[in-house]
Amino acid sequence: MKWASAVCTAIATAALASAGPSIPHVSLDPNAIGKPPITSWTTFNGNYSGQRYSTLTQIAPANVGRFAQQWVFRIAGVGPQRGAPVPVIKCTPLLINGVLYITIPDHVWALDARTGKQLWHYGWSDHGGHLVGQRGVAIWKSTVYFLTPDNWLIALNANTGQELWRKNYADARKQYFSTSAPLVIKNHVIVGVGGDAMDMPGFLDSFDTVTGNLQWTWWSTPRKDDPALKTWPNESASDHGGGMTWMPGTYDTELNLLYWPTGNTNPVFAGQGRPGANLWTESIVALDLDTGKLKWYFQVSPHDTHDFDNTTAPILFDQVVDGKPRKLLAQAARNGFFVTLDRITGKYLVVKPYVPLDYSSGLSPQGEPIPIPDKDPTVGGSINIVNASNWPAPAYSPKTGMVYVNSVEGKAIYYLTDDSKEPSGYGGTGTGIGHIERVLQAIDPLTGNAVWKHRYPNLNNAPTTVGPSILTTATNLLITGDDQKNLIIYSADKGQILWHHEMTANESGGIITYMLDGKQYILFGAGDSLYAWSLPQ
Amino acid sequence: MDLYTGVRWLNGMKQLCLNSWPRWLSHPVLHVVVAVFAVLSVTAIGQEEPSAGQNSAQQRKTYQNMTPDQRAAATRAFLGLGPEPNKAAAARGAPLFQQNCAFCHGQNAHGVTAPSLITSDEVLSDDHGERLTPFLKAGRPDKGMPAFATMSDEQLNDIAEFLHLQVEDVANRGTYHVLNIVVGNPVQGETYVKARCMKCHTAETFAHIGSSFGSPDQLQRGWIWPASSENSKLAISATVKQPGGATLTGRVKVINDFRITVVDSAGQTHVINRGPGIEVEINDPLADHQEMIQTLTNNDMHNVTAYLATLK
Repeated sequence: MKWASAVCTAIATAALASAGPSIPHVSLDPNAIGKPPITSWTTFNGNYSGQRYSTLTQIAPANVGRFAQQWVFRIAGVGPQRGAPVPVIKCTPLLINGVLYITIPDHVWALDARTGKQLWHYGWSDHGGHLVGQRGVAIWKSTVYFLTPDNWLIALNANTGQELWRKNYADARKQYFSTSAPLVIKNHVIVGVGGDAMDMPGFLDSFDTVTGNLQWTWWSTPRKDDPALKTWPNESASDHGGGMTWMPGTYDTELNLLYWPTGNTNPVFAGQGRPGANLWTESIVALDLDTGKLKWYFQVSPHDTHDFDNTTAPILFDQVVDGKPRKLLAQAARNGFFVTLDRITGKYLVVKPYVPLDYSSGLSPQGEPIPIPDKDPTVGGSINIVNASNWPAPAYSPKTGMVYVNSVEGKAIYYLTDDSKEPSGYGGTGTGIGHIERVLQAIDPLTGNAVWKHRYPNLNNAPTTVGPSILTTATNLLITGDDQKNLIIYSADKGQILWHHEMTANESGGIITYMLDGKQYILFGAGDSLYAWSLPQ
Repeated sequence: MDLYTGVRWLNGMKQLCLNSWPRWLSHPVLHVVVAVFAVLSVTAIGQEEPSAGQNSAQQRKTYQNMTPDQRAAATRAFLGLGPEPNKAAAARGAPLFQQNCAFCHGQNAHGVTAPSLITSDEVLSDDHGERLTPFLKAGRPDKGMPAFATMSDEQLNDIAEFLHLQVEDVANRGTYHVLNIVVGNPVQGETYVKARCMKCHTAETFAHIGSSFGSPDQLQRGWIWPASSENSKLAISATVKQPGGATLTGRVKVINDFRITVVDSAGQTHVINRGPGIEVEINDPLADHQEMIQTLTNNDMHNVTAYLATLK
C-alpha cells in the first residue's frame, strides 16, 4: 500500500460541553482576516504584518502588578510523542467568536475562551513525519485548516471538528514534514513544508479555501531554463537543494505580495558539491499572492553551510526615511544579520550583524553578506556562531519603531562528516562551545543598532527548543519570557522589567491578546498548558 | 505507551483507525530513548531547531553514553524515518551492488552516470524489497537499466536492503560520526600552548591529556571548554552583597533576573531574591577560555589538538 494513502481515518471528537450555556457559533468574515487583532486573533501573527503588536490598552504598566491567572487548559493523556516526552504547546492560538484553537502535532483543540473548557478535539494518526512542533491552525468562515506531520492539509468544521476534506501535498518518506500554521488570504490557503534530511527541494503551495484544489506551487530552487540556475553547479543540485518554507510568511494587502522566508540549503553542512549562491534558499522572497510568481528576492545567507535556515519572520512596517514614507520589511535573521529591505523593490536599507560574528568579509553590491570560506565546516572542525534566532516570534511596535528579538550569542565547532565530492543529507554536525547566552534586543530597523539589550542571566546555555515569543502592546508593554520559566513584562521603550511570574514551564508558543466581554486577556502556552491571564474584576 | 493514549481522555469517543500503527513508530523502548534524544537532537543539529549543540553537559553525556545502535534508533524514531534496514541482508547485498550497479550508480549509490538512488522514488517507497525486488528483476530497459532477471529474489532483496542502508547513512544523522579530526601541525600547536596557555597552566595540566578523552573530537572540545560539571574548581561562583553590607560567597546553582541560589563552603544552600540593594558579582573560572573561543582560529585549534593528542 502506498505510504501516503495508508492514512487511517481520524475523527473529530465533538465532546460538546453538556453544561455550557451556549456553544459560540464560529463564522469568520474573510474580510476580517488580517485586520489588526482586537476581539479576535485570526492568523498566526494576529494580522498579516508579522508585527505581533496590539492596540489594546487595558493592561498597562500602572496595573501589571494586579495581573492574574484566570484559567488553565492542560493537555492530558496524550503521552510521549516521538521527540517530545511530554506535549509542548508551540502554536500561536487563534481566537474567533469566543472560541480558541490550539494544536500540538497530530492534535487540534477548540476551547471555550471564557472558561478554557474543551469544545471539541481532533486527533490524527500520522504515518511518518517529524513531530518536533506544530505552530497552529488557520481559519476562513467556518473552516479550520490544520497541517499534519506527514503533510496532509486537513479542513475541519470550526464548530464541530468534523473533517471536511484532506489533501496530501508532500511525501513523508522523502523526509518532508509539516509543522507550520497555514496562512489564509482571500481564497488561498498557503501551505509551507519542512524537511531537510534527504536533499529535497522546498516549495510553497496555494490551495483553494473551499475545494482544497491546488492553485499554484512555487519551488524554492530554480527549474530548467531559469536564469537562477547559474547559482547552482547543475540542475540536479538545484533539484535537491532544500530551501524549506516551514514558517508562515507575511503579506502586504496593497501590493498583493506574500513575503516568505526560505530555509537552509541542502546538503546542509557540506557545501562542496553545490558551489554558488544557491538561490532561492536562505532568502526572503516576494511572491504574487494569486499566481505564486516571484517578484523579487533577497538572499540573506548566500551559499549557507551552517544551517542558518532563514525562517525567522519577515516583519512588515512603514516608516519615514529621509522625509519619505517607505514600505519596509525587517528580519533578525538566524545567520546573525539584521536586514531591513524596501518591500516594494527588495532593495536593502540595512544589513548589519546584531550578534558578534566574524564569518563574513563584507556585503555584495546587493547587500548580501559574503561568507568567508575558511569558516565553512571542515573535517578538523571550524568555529562559527550558533543560530542567532529561531522560529519563536519576534515583534515590532509602531509606538517605539523598534524590532524586538530574543537573540542567541554563542559559538559552535562545525565538523564535516561527509568530505566526498558529492555529499548528501546533512554531511556534517555541530557542537556548541563556551557559554551560549540569550539576549533580548530592541533594534532600530533604520540603523540595525540595538537601542537596548537585556542579557538573561543563566548558568545553562540558552536552550532554543521552546520560545519565548514576543508580543508588544500600545501601552508600552513587551511580553516574553526567559529560559527559567519566568513570564516577564518589560517596558518596550527602555527594556525595564515591570513584572514577572514563575510558571511551571518555559513559555513555549506564541503570546496573543484580545478583548473578551470587556476584559483584555493575555494568552500563551507554556509546556503542556495554555494559560489565560487578565486583570481581576 | 504510544500516541493512541490520546483517545483515553476523549471520554469514550472512538478513533476509527483502519490501519495498524507502524511497528517502528510505537516500539515501547524507543520512546524512552527518543525522550532522551529529543532534548539532544534538537541541539546537535536540527532543521527547525537550533543549530549546533546548545545542550547541557548532562544531556551531552547521556547522548555520548548511548551505543551507536541506540543513537541511530533514537534518531530514526525522532525523525520519523522509515523501517530499520536489515543490516545482515545489506552486507550480503553490498558485493552484489558493487558488481552489478555501482558502475552507473556509484559505490554508495550517490550516482555517477545514472542518478543517485538515495532520493529515488522506487527506493523510498519500498520497505523491505516488496517493491524493489520486482522492479530490479524487470529493470528499466527504456532508460538503459538492464533487467536483473537471472538473480534470485533473495539476492535482489539483499540489494534492496543495501540501498536502504545507504539512505539510512544519509538521512539518519544519528549514524554520523566525525572523521579523523587530527589534521593540525603539532609543532605549531606546542608553540601556541607555550605562548598562550602557560600563564595559567603548567606542563602538568597537559601531561597525559592525549589519553584522557574518549576520542580526538572530545579532546578538542575538552581543551577548549573543560566541563565544569566534572570539575568543581571550574564552577561559577558569586559574591552576593546584601543590604546592610552582609556578603555571601559560594558556588552558583541557579541565577536569573529574580533569584540567585548559592552553596557556601559549608555546603549550605542560600536562596536570595534579587532586588534593590542586592549586588551580585560573578566569578567564572572559565572566563579566559570564553574569551579565547571568540578569537580562536581554526588553524590554532587544529594545531593545539594535534599537539595535545601526542601527550599520552
